[in-house]
Amino acid sequence: MKAFEVVVARNSRHAVALLAERVPTAKVKVIAGGTDLMADLKFAPSSHAPDVVVDISRADDLRHISMTDAGLSIGALVTHTEIMRSPVIRDLFPALLDAAHTIGAVQTRNLGTLGGNLVTAVPSVDSGPTLVALDARVTLLSPAGQRAMPLADFFVGPRKTALKPDELLVDILIPRENLGKPACFLKFGLRKGQALALVNVAASFWVDWDRNVFVAPRIALGAVAPKVIHASSAQAYLEGRAIEPAAMAEAGRLAVGDAKPINDFRASAEYRRDLIAVLSRRALEGAYALAQSKRSGKVAGGLQASRRGER
Amino acid sequence: MAKVTLTVNGEARTASVSPETTLLRLLREEFGLTGSKLGCDVGDCGACTVMVDGKSVNSCLMLAVQADGRDVVTIEGLATMERLHPLQQLFEDKGSLQCGFCGPGIIISAKALLDENPDPTEEEIRDALAGNLCRCTGYSKMIEAVRAVARAGRDERTAGSVA
Repeated sequence: MKAFEVVVARNSRHAVALLAERVPTAKVKVIAGGTDLMADLKFAPSSHAPDVVVDISRADDLRHISMTDAGLSIGALVTHTEIMRSPVIRDLFPALLDAAHTIGAVQTRNLGTLGGNLVTAVPSVDSGPTLVALDARVTLLSPAGQRAMPLADFFVGPRKTALKPDELLVDILIPRENLGKPACFLKFGLRKGQALALVNVAASFWVDWDRNVFVAPRIALGAVAPKVIHASSAQAYLEGRAIEPAAMAEAGRLAVGDAKPINDFRASAEYRRDLIAVLSRRALEGAYALAQSKRSGKVAGGLQASRRGER
Repeated sequence: MAKVTLTVNGEARTASVSPETTLLRLLREEFGLTGSKLGCDVGDCGACTVMVDGKSVNSCLMLAVQADGRDVVTIEGLATMERLHPLQQLFEDKGSLQCGFCGPGIIISAKALLDENPDPTEEEIRDALAGNLCRCTGYSKMIEAVRAVARAGRDERTAGSVA
């Protein structure tokens, strides 16, 4: 690994001040949990290696999971383990907890952060689909101020985001209108532990119980396009449609057409297409089951809770 | 050079390292604590697992400067001269290791689990060890050993509550 300088940020404002100071004259990288960055740096050609690394792991103002007027705010430094243990997230969005649980292993979940996972922006990013399905927005901070955008637009392509070199991802917001919106995340990997997704899917919708129809349906797909995408035609098909198994199956088939999976050493495009149809349908079924259990007043806890319950 | 002060196995330690030094290299090369192993060096194999502020982490992925001021426990911190840690003893009794390279990381992962959850299910043990690869023995006897330690702890607690 090429030598570099490390500067430690005390908080998010200090971090962007350090970025503003160093970015004009040096190659700068930001380190949080380091689970992606450190692995990359060890293999990076020295031409890509940073001169300066800004360590934000002590910027404690980015560690919150808090309810605000705008919605549920999750700080960029919140680790995957912290998401798994958050009572608020367990209550409102068990799908986020399930997604966090599929990332890496205990050690990497203890270090790795939600912000880091999103900024790395690999197409299979496991934090991505659920948040995209919940219309999450990200806040980017720079010395000039802050700007917000939908997470779906923050992702630009494989390992590419809208983040400018002097900006820091500080916050992930699930908007107020989606608090408690039933969602389900499913990932298909080749193993249970430490596997990248061949396909990951999240589905979310409200139920109009009087008419039993889908309201504001979302299906987000990962690992089957250059970035996490909405399955737009499947979403349009479901809007206002009666909730029944045939509609969910048809939405799964439509989602296949919304994706552009590739052949690689993990799976063929053909196999991924089959997975999209099946996982999309199952994610819709999962979200509906959650909606029903919430309605009947049962405590919703996602897969994690049901596993615990088996003890 | 960066000055790093941290607690390692209960002892205050200080070192001066170049900024890109990982916690693993600090432990092994500056402090001579070679129990934690350098395996894949990218966070896949878990041979470098140590506890930082009570949580298991891959020390190959953490910069030494990120561990400044933190409390680190390595495999060297578990046994005393007189007595192995119960996990070490049960791993020995059950023949859970063969070459042993993965052992320090696995035992630290198991300790981190039991510290938080003294009575885990098999599923929880498997989940806790999923970040530690073993290439010779397999995992069954390790899981048995962790279960046995948990069982012994449970018996002890039960006996305590009776007494």
